[in-house]
Amino acid sequence: MRWATRRGCHVDRAACAWLIRRFIDPAAAFLFVDDPDEVPPDATAFDMRGAELSHHAGDCSFETFLRHYGLRDPALAEIGRVVHEADLADERYDAPEAAGLDVLVRGLSMTLDDDHVLEISRPLFDGLYAFKQRAQMLGREPA
Amino acid sequence: MTRWVLLAYRLPREPSTPRITLWRQLRRLGVAQVADGVAALPLDARTREQLEWLAEEVVEHGGEATIWLAEPGAVAQERALARAMAGSAARDYQRVIDEAAAAGSSQSARRTLSRLRRELRRISSRDFFPSAIGDRARSAVESLSERVEAAS
Repeated sequence: MRWATRRGCHVDRAACAWLIRRFIDPAAAFLFVDDPDEVPPDATAFDMRGAELSHHAGDCSFETFLRHYGLRDPALAEIGRVVHEADLADERYDAPEAAGLDVLVRGLSMTLDDDHVLEISRPLFDGLYAFKQRAQMLGREPA
Repeated sequence: MTRWVLLAYRLPREPSTPRITLWRQLRRLGVAQVADGVAALPLDARTREQLEWLAEEVVEHGGEATIWLAEPGAVAQERALARAMAGSAARDYQRVIDEAAAAGSSQSARRTLSRLRRELRRISSRDFFPSAIGDRARSAVESLSERVEAAS
């Protein structure tokens, strides 16, 4: 399946792309556009004005994906809170990782094109997911 | 002159909750309120996106919202906007300076320190026209941190 989003990927879109590849569509191909009108008819748009898979009712796009696809994994919900704060910083959640994650992905987007931002950030989110899963299991932060 | 991104919006008068939420979000972003229903930020990829999301929320709540990229027609106009925004940031920085000075070096000063650090981050994220008072606020919090460390 083809997935379309805006050029210049930051933390929310990088996290969504990771989620798509890992939980929704392992064969996903991503394309980047400047304007919502440029999304080809066969592609699913995300994190763009007017798209269903986007910000809604104060949620970031990653949280919308979790809701839309019924992904109820508590470790993903945790990542959702981190991405929310990294993207929106509205202090809805207490997520001290958010500031660091935001800077890391923003730094990547300064030095790499969008394809590479998604590729390089993927193991970052794999690691974050493994960490959050382990924390859920232990009931505390892993050593 | 700077380029600006403008959010032109109109929300129904009732219910009032979305209006209040929007007002809070605009305040948090540090917008200049150009006119009733027109908010402005200096243009960059991030500010544009932030206002675009607010526009979406306005529409979701039954209002109307459009996003515009603009240049002020006169330098003086831009200076006035920048001055108003810097003034609002300066008032927030001043509060941080005052609280840091009043905090002393007691045990509760440690809690005040972490609160003021958070507050500094919040203010600098909406401080688009950095000035000396921002530096003064940062050194006030830094010296509070030194007092707290020395006392522990």
